[in-house]
Amino acid sequence: MSGPNEDNTQLSSHFLGDLLDSIIVDVASECHRIAKLGLDHNLEEEEKELRLSAQARARVADPSNSGETNNKYVVDIFGRTHPSVASEIFECMNCGKSIVAGRFAPHLENCMGKGRKARRKVTRSSTAAQNRYSRGSPVSTYSPYSNSTSTNRLSNGTPVGEEYSNGTYEEP
Amino acid sequence: MKHSVNRPPTPDGVVDQGKEPTLQEIINIKLIESGEKERLMELLRERLIECGWKDEMKALCRAYIKKKGRNNVTVDDLVHLITPKGRASIPDSIKAELLQRIRSFLVSTAL
Repeated sequence: MSGPNEDNTQLSSHFLGDLLDSIIVDVASECHRIAKLGLDHNLEEEEKELRLSAQARARVADPSNSGETNNKYVVDIFGRTHPSVASEIFECMNCGKSIVAGRFAPHLENCMGKGRKARRKVTRSSTAAQNRYSRGSPVSTYSPYSNSTSTNRLSNGTPVGEEYSNGTYEEP
Repeated sequence: MKHSVNRPPTPDGVVDQGKEPTLQEIINIKLIESGEKERLMELLRERLIECGWKDEMKALCRAYIKKKGRNNVTVDDLVHLITPKGRASIPDSIKAELLQRIRSFLVSTAL
């Protein structure tokens, strides 16, 4: 008859094995789920898909494709065709960068703080807005409007938002 | 009256006859009822994640799935794949810690 200590050891090992088996099943089931749902981006298939989508994106961005060999041959009432990617370049009113029109929406996502890693862009307008709404007194050292020349003056020369330069708020 | 009222009596004794619950079963029930089994499982899970064991097992699974193609793999396949390696590669310190806790539980339930 084995002593109680040996029994205990054997029982303990049995229960440890039991726990381990449950955990193994959990891990297997989790891996199985990830594989079946296609959530693992390291599988070779995903790499192929990514390569194909990158190729497609390059084809769209290629300027020699603008409207001529296009599948979507859309003609308007004047007989003009439109390029598949809007190619006009203009200035973003939030950050001032030159942006291709077709890329404007994704740019705005990051620029205005919707996307990943996008929250850190503090611009003049956002700090100015914070100062105006959260503090009662004007900020003496930080005067964005009094230093800028072209963007904030109306046609008759009156500066806008003068509360920072002399403490009073003047209507434009 | 429902027909089920006149059904023949449930045969008893077929399940219970001569089968006392084993010591293992009794302890298992005590483990579960006291909540200790859950705590032990969480402890073991945490330790295995910390030491990278779970990542090793996941890597094994991923390699297997890559080889076989993800639509040809069952949970069973993966379980059979990682069970032997999983049981063998559990670090000794973790094994000792868990065994110690289980043993104290056994002793404390005064068997």
